[in-house]
Amino acid sequence: MPALLTSPAVHTTVVSERREPASGIVIVGLRAPDLAGAVRPGQFVMVVPPGGERCATALAPYECDGERVSLMIVVVGSRTRELATLAPGSALTVFGPLGNGFDAAALGDDVGLVAGGVGIASLLLLARALREREASVRLYYGARTAAALVGAEAFAALGCAVTLATDDGSCGYRGFVTEPLARKGGEHGALAACGPSPMLRAVGRIAVAGGVPAQLSLEEAFACGVGACWGCAVPLGRESAQAPAFPAPSFGERRDYVHARICTEGPVFWAHELRW
Amino acid sequence: MVTTPRITPDLSTNVGALRLAFPTLMASGCYGSGEEYAPFVDLARIGGVVLKSVTRFPRLGNDAPRLVPVASGLLNAIGLQNPGIDAYLERDVAKFAERPCAVVGSVAGFSVDDYGYVTERLAARDEIDAIELNISCPNVAHEGETFACDAALAERATRAARQATTKPLIVKLSPNVTDITEIARAVEAAGGDALAVVNTVRGMAIDVERRAPMLGNVTGGLSGAAMRPIALLAVWEVAAAVRLPIVGQGGIETARDALEFLLAGASAVSIGTANFTDPRAPVAICDGLSTYLNEHGYAALRDLVGAANPTFLGTR
Repeated sequence: MPALLTSPAVHTTVVSERREPASGIVIVGLRAPDLAGAVRPGQFVMVVPPGGERCATALAPYECDGERVSLMIVVVGSRTRELATLAPGSALTVFGPLGNGFDAAALGDDVGLVAGGVGIASLLLLARALREREASVRLYYGARTAAALVGAEAFAALGCAVTLATDDGSCGYRGFVTEPLARKGGEHGALAACGPSPMLRAVGRIAVAGGVPAQLSLEEAFACGVGACWGCAVPLGRESAQAPAFPAPSFGERRDYVHARICTEGPVFWAHELRW
Repeated sequence: MVTTPRITPDLSTNVGALRLAFPTLMASGCYGSGEEYAPFVDLARIGGVVLKSVTRFPRLGNDAPRLVPVASGLLNAIGLQNPGIDAYLERDVAKFAERPCAVVGSVAGFSVDDYGYVTERLAARDEIDAIELNISCPNVAHEGETFACDAALAERATRAARQATTKPLIVKLSPNVTDITEIARAVEAAGGDALAVVNTVRGMAIDVERRAPMLGNVTGGLSGAAMRPIALLAVWEVAAAVRLPIVGQGGIETARDALEFLLAGASAVSIGTANFTDPRAPVAICDGLSTYLNEHGYAALRDLVGAANPTFLGTR
């Protein structure tokens, strides 16, 4: 994965729009010119809770153009509800961009993107970057119901082929999106995925079994998001270029992995290097 | 532009021989080595960073999950992941010279000998201004917290570190004890210069869907606002038991919270979990302290230390 190109900073933004494409899924647009110029696909920002309660929330910028950055918020609890109800004109402080992001160049020119639920938000900027260099891209996108499949048309508009799946069969394949992926994933030169952990583990198994390189963007509730607290550890093979330099652990603790920080060494890791 | 001249209150404080331009230390384990937060906060506007604890040998740390958000707080069980003192000295410590604030090294151990050995090696470095002795980590499988829960062991660990350095020695106490004043007195008797009061409160959470503990380590340490009254009482009681300066910590999020600890008898405060809500919190706390001092006619923060506590034994 490439080194960070831009410096993270605190950004004081203003909510410029709010739309609700499905019940419980809200897209909040922010006027944030400095941030918009700095974000790379797969990076995230920490959103300071307006009410000052609980930890900041990590979210991947969904759309990013000109002076605007948008965030996709799925309402699951009090923190996300607070963000999802922000009215246009409200101030919102975020800090970032953070994390490594996807390495689009390393994905080659035939890429399968795999999104589960709100994981779709991390993949739109990547799809755009891949299509700008005319890579062939197919999106595999799964959600609970047809109504929760948000934003697939934006990928289609970029010229991506799209395979949809829903748990209830209300749109596309009935079942997990990893099932159609298992049949067709081996046809791609590389995969990139973002979604819940069980989906990412399944994508990782398909990729490793098929010998297809895959970049997985891991999901985790961060505390600091900046690499300070070591709370978001994931076991990573010692041979990984992303593994933090770490001496051999002491007697009784020898392992073939080290704990990397999802927020700092990741959130994007090569599937074959994870030891989870 | 015309600016109105005003007297800037003196926020500086001393923790023993450790001089701080601001009364805000960043709590060990919450702030990395400071550089992680440098893009978001001016480190020249904080008192100092207490570094993540280092041990004699490298430690992989606990299995995930290591964090669980709970009501008004956070449970953590990181497990002292660190590269060990050899690699730490060779690779990491030189960077700390650039910090525009105090740098306090944190030493954890599993034996009395560990505390002496790691303190001697770390404190020998010019980049380190003081040592915090972490005798109270609740998240390691054996013996991590034992030293803070037994007065005789606390005394021996402190004495070992005291013999290893003349730099300011801050000993971090645990709230998970029957009588914290007994431990505080033992540290004072062994030559500790100051006390950090307190480390996290032991706790846990269970996932009712999986019917299993949430943390990889099963138990963890509770930080954040949920523990603040517990920590404040500990400061109050310790301030009445010993003359050592106190660094108050536990759920401090605002200037008002910090004032409570200062008024109870703390000479400085540590900020941990509040940084995870907003990295600007430490600067906002100092701004709020200045406003309070102005509004109430105090010229210096030191005049407030212990001002609410008639049993305060320390000096301002």
